Amino acid sequence: MFKIFDHTADIGIEAFGETLEEAFEETARGMFAIITDGSKIEKKEKRKIEIPFEGDEEILLVDWLSELIYIHDVETLVFGDFDVKINDVLTAYAYGEKYDRNKHKYGVEIKAVTYHMLEIKRNKKGVTIKVLFDI
Amino acid sequence: MWNGPLIKIDEYRYKIPESYKGKGNNLKMRVPAIIYASEEMLPSIKKDDAPEQTANVATLPGIIEKSMAMPDIHWGYGFPIGGVAATDAEEGVISPGGVGFDINCGVRLVRTNLSIEDLDRKKIKELVDELFRNVPSGVGSKAKVRLNMSQLEDVLHMGAKWAIENGYGWEEDLEYLEENGCMEIADASHVSEKAKERGKSQVGSLGAGNHFLEIQKVAEVFDKDSAKVYGIKEGQIVVMIHTGSRGCGHQICTDHLRVLENAVKKYNISLPDRQLACAPVKSREGENYFKAMACAANFAWANRQMIVHWVRQSFENVLKMSAEEIGMHIVYDVCHNIAKLEEHEVNGKKMMMYVHRKGATRSFGKSRKEIPSKYRNVGQPVLIPGDMGTESYLLRGTDEAEETFGSTCHGAGRVMSRAEAKRRWRGQEIARNLERKGIYAHAASWSVMAEENPDAYKDVSQVVNSAHGAGLSLKVARMIPLGVVKG
Repeated sequence: MFKIFDHTADIGIEAFGETLEEAFEETARGMFAIITDGSKIEKKEKRKIEIPFEGDEEILLVDWLSELIYIHDVETLVFGDFDVKINDVLTAYAYGEKYDRNKHKYGVEIKAVTYHMLEIKRNKKGVTIKVLFDI
Repeated sequence: MWNGPLIKIDEYRYKIPESYKGKGNNLKMRVPAIIYASEEMLPSIKKDDAPEQTANVATLPGIIEKSMAMPDIHWGYGFPIGGVAATDAEEGVISPGGVGFDINCGVRLVRTNLSIEDLDRKKIKELVDELFRNVPSGVGSKAKVRLNMSQLEDVLHMGAKWAIENGYGWEEDLEYLEENGCMEIADASHVSEKAKERGKSQVGSLGAGNHFLEIQKVAEVFDKDSAKVYGIKEGQIVVMIHTGSRGCGHQICTDHLRVLENAVKKYNISLPDRQLACAPVKSREGENYFKAMACAANFAWANRQMIVHWVRQSFENVLKMSAEEIGMHIVYDVCHNIAKLEEHEVNGKKMMMYVHRKGATRSFGKSRKEIPSKYRNVGQPVLIPGDMGTESYLLRGTDEAEETFGSTCHGAGRVMSRAEAKRRWRGQEIARNLERKGIYAHAASWSVMAEENPDAYKDVSQVVNSAHGAGLSLKVARMIPLGVVKG
């Protein structure tokens, strides 16, 4: 579950998951919903992502989303589904396809993930993440 | 809404005193903050936390004299957009937050010897469509040439010169670019493989968002003598290019921000905002960032240079004349997001400093040796893009701008979020409105069109008039768009 919120110059995601992994997956889904119409993304391609976890969850989150932006930018892929495991290393699979202006419609360019107002909060129900992007 | 203290100094200067403790009541400003704006602009400036961010910047170690905000100030990450700060070249810090993710996002103006009588609406439409075909734009846009790793490294080290040596432009172009299109301190060994990978396919692409290419008409000349020196007169057709360092620059900022996050702890720097991450200028982390930032700046100059080449080619294709015959010379090229090592005077003493300009333009007057010899009697051209469908300005730099270490405003500044803009307007409707005003727009997607609706920005004339009133840059000419290419 995620929702998009916006600030004067920029835009962000508030995502919820029962676990940290699920919250990471939802944040990524939200990010691609900003980039294009996420509901139209099919699972035609799969990419494996591995990022070392050095103990700071906030930095791991920025690294995770930055890695997805990198793959998106270099391969022109958009992703709609994710499978994340976090131990000493974040290991994830991202599923998606080539971005196609006619099929996916609009395209917003996300320049980067920011540390501004970045939050990872836990309560009894699960984990809530708030993150802002520079667009 | 920001409710901190703002003391009026004069009509265009407002001060946040050093004694201000910030919203959290624990801010330790080392110097005061000055906001350059007219009274009528204050309500929109105080609408968000941009003044607080200007005060936050005043806490940076080694900051000289004052933290500054230009009239187009709005909320950014770390520094506000429109923020300027100079730090001591020995004792100060350097901060990627004072530059931004889109390193050397900037503007270039190309003149022609065509006048409005030479182009009817049909020709303008043909030109815009040809430009749209020739200059890749929009999400995922890849340039027409793909570089190998060693070519890309040459781009990072040489900037616009690389493009010209490879046939993209004229030898004379270099003289009319800020820094002649290259920061020599660039060292690609501090640029990650990822940033290089992103750069390989993007040299010569416009990108998306607020970046654009516009065919404009000079609608009004305020200062005939200076305009003449710049080769500008009323009714003339000019082309404006607004883009930056693309994914390569974004990745360089992301990578080094990550390193500087740790440097903050290592060097024991206390900051009011994580996004202000910085390192001492003489530290390994600080020096490496600056060398990598220069690579991104060079990438952006090469990018705009290749686009100029394709703009010239598009005009040639449509008008069946050579670009030389059309007189497509570069007026100037300025950076909006950059840190530079520059010499300025403080209390009568010359000193070296790192001037951070984030959403601000260099505005050097006639006494600075850095500007082209042809402009030595008027000062450098300052290019201020408005937004789609309104107007842009050509100003000139002044010696009075030494007060802001040679800096002025950069553009209109957004007043409404992009998502809000998208909710309120539909792209097709906006395109029709523009067409009624005689402007033909070709955008990569309709949603971009809605996001870039002119009503989403501050009035650029207010911004420019404040900068003019404060003496930071003086008005030379006003241009209005005839045709627009959007990412």
